[in-house]
Amino acid sequence: MPPPAKSAEAAIAESISGTPTQAANRSGFRRSEAIGLTLWVIGFGVPAVLNTTWVSVAAIFAIYAITALSEDVILGRGGMFDMGHAVYLGIGAYVTAILNIEFGWPIFATMPPAILLSAAIGALLAGPLIRLRGDYLLVATIGFNAIFVLAMENNLAGVTGGSDGLTGLDVPSLFGLQFVSQSAMFWLDWVLLGVVLLLMRNLDRCELGRTLRYLKQDELAATTLGVNARASKTVAFAIGAGLAGLAGSLFAVQLSTVGPSSFVFTESVTLFAIVIVGGQGSIPGVLLGTALMFVVPQIFRDFAQYRYFVFGIAMVAVMVLRPQGLWPRRRIAA
Amino acid sequence: MTALLELRDIGISFGGLRAVDELSFTVAQGQIVGLIGPNGAGKTTVFNMITGVYLPTDGEILWQGTRITGAPPHRVAMLGIRRTFQTIRLFSEMSVFENVRAGCHLRARQHWWQGLLALPAQMREEAALAERTHEVLRRLDLAQVADESATSLPYGMQRRVELARTLVGEPRLIILDEPAAGLNDAESGALNETIFAIRDSGITVLLVEHDMNVVMNVTDHIVVINFGRKIAEGSPTEIRNDPAVIEAYLGREDSDAEEAA
Repeated sequence: MPPPAKSAEAAIAESISGTPTQAANRSGFRRSEAIGLTLWVIGFGVPAVLNTTWVSVAAIFAIYAITALSEDVILGRGGMFDMGHAVYLGIGAYVTAILNIEFGWPIFATMPPAILLSAAIGALLAGPLIRLRGDYLLVATIGFNAIFVLAMENNLAGVTGGSDGLTGLDVPSLFGLQFVSQSAMFWLDWVLLGVVLLLMRNLDRCELGRTLRYLKQDELAATTLGVNARASKTVAFAIGAGLAGLAGSLFAVQLSTVGPSSFVFTESVTLFAIVIVGGQGSIPGVLLGTALMFVVPQIFRDFAQYRYFVFGIAMVAVMVLRPQGLWPRRRIAA
Repeated sequence: MTALLELRDIGISFGGLRAVDELSFTVAQGQIVGLIGPNGAGKTTVFNMITGVYLPTDGEILWQGTRITGAPPHRVAMLGIRRTFQTIRLFSEMSVFENVRAGCHLRARQHWWQGLLALPAQMREEAALAERTHEVLRRLDLAQVADESATSLPYGMQRRVELARTLVGEPRLIILDEPAAGLNDAESGALNETIFAIRDSGITVLLVEHDMNVVMNVTDHIVVINFGRKIAEGSPTEIRNDPAVIEAYLGREDSDAEEAA
């Protein structure tokens, strides 16, 4: 009987085309992504319209945006209270500084080891930590942060330069092209931010990204569907730490100096707050949070010392009035 | 023939409380087995031990003759055992589609780095699993609510979503914890048909249920427990006429009814 078969086919086709989730996945591109891509492309023009000071602000924004997105992988997506994320930023920065200054490696050659070492240490620390409940995990990561800063201040293995840190990094160069100007440095950071944003968008759509969402919402239900909670959370920790390592590498190059004070506990708190205030698991939310923390204070330079005061009030206000964050993740149909 | 699932003298204590004690029964391939007993008899605890949520204090659980006692939940799931929960556990911030898609987790072969890089093999797999999810949604008459928030649906539908989430993974055995709870008469009648359809598709079913209409009409074999111990076992007809069951279970239901009246 052809007619019923045909109508079933039609119903199938209708149910597929009628579901935005799948339609979006099929075409692989959404309006929000088109807007994001456009903004990113426009961003390359920053050095053309703004002076050097603002270009360096934009570069710092890009570096901290990568760091905040990496914290979001662990905290926002993985649901693990990582209050020591500055450690991984620090590992990346120190690896680049040490390999460049002490061993004469070109800057770009130091990036893969910076990423890999941060990721490895993240995965290693995750081992005993991820079984801990949220509040205990938070305290343990604070502990790691304290140990890291102490180790750097005490000139670990004689290569970290103690409390003064390390100075005098080379400028990065690629195929004879020297990234001397602040504009060139910004473009480098901006390209890598673009790469990280692309990875985050892919994470949203792949099995790992979904698995983290299952675990965050209902770990018992997730594990009875076959989710290996330990493995997924360890991978999330490693990815978050590795991306922070990349940001650390860029951070070292941007400042041309690396010291323990850049990776102290309050920096971790800031990263934590950016994710919570911006919106957990939300790319625009995390970018907005980063901008509020690192760009807005520059606009009100005279009040820059009130940065934490203003951001502190903002944190309280957002948590009370809008606990899901300023720009929360869309709940249904990721 | 080895049983698909076998419990041997299984027991568990919580503090001083002996929740389940020396319980043994087997589930054969293709059967629909009911586990019944008064409230607090330990039925859900038995399910939690089978699925690796609780670690039994004594005894053994065997899957096709192999000891699986103490395996963590995700390992148990990998054997092809899926369950639903007495209190529905859907992912609340996700759509019906996303919830059911979660059941495909073990069918996904992609590595995490393939997902991050959005490689073609991963994209193909995503499309195939999405298609599979839609197929199960259609089979369980949920296609029209695929994009609705799962937990905003009526109770009966939520139960169906949870069932779809277990079926999409093509399990060997599904364990249903009170699938008829909260359903109206029409829905619970439809549930009987659904359970038969599941069995006919080659999936073995183990269920806990209070609704006697469901238990007596659907099951091939019934195990009755009370205070964590098995008090009877047999076909629905045998169980209906078993004096111990009538006293422990059905009798108590009557007294409940009197109290209510």
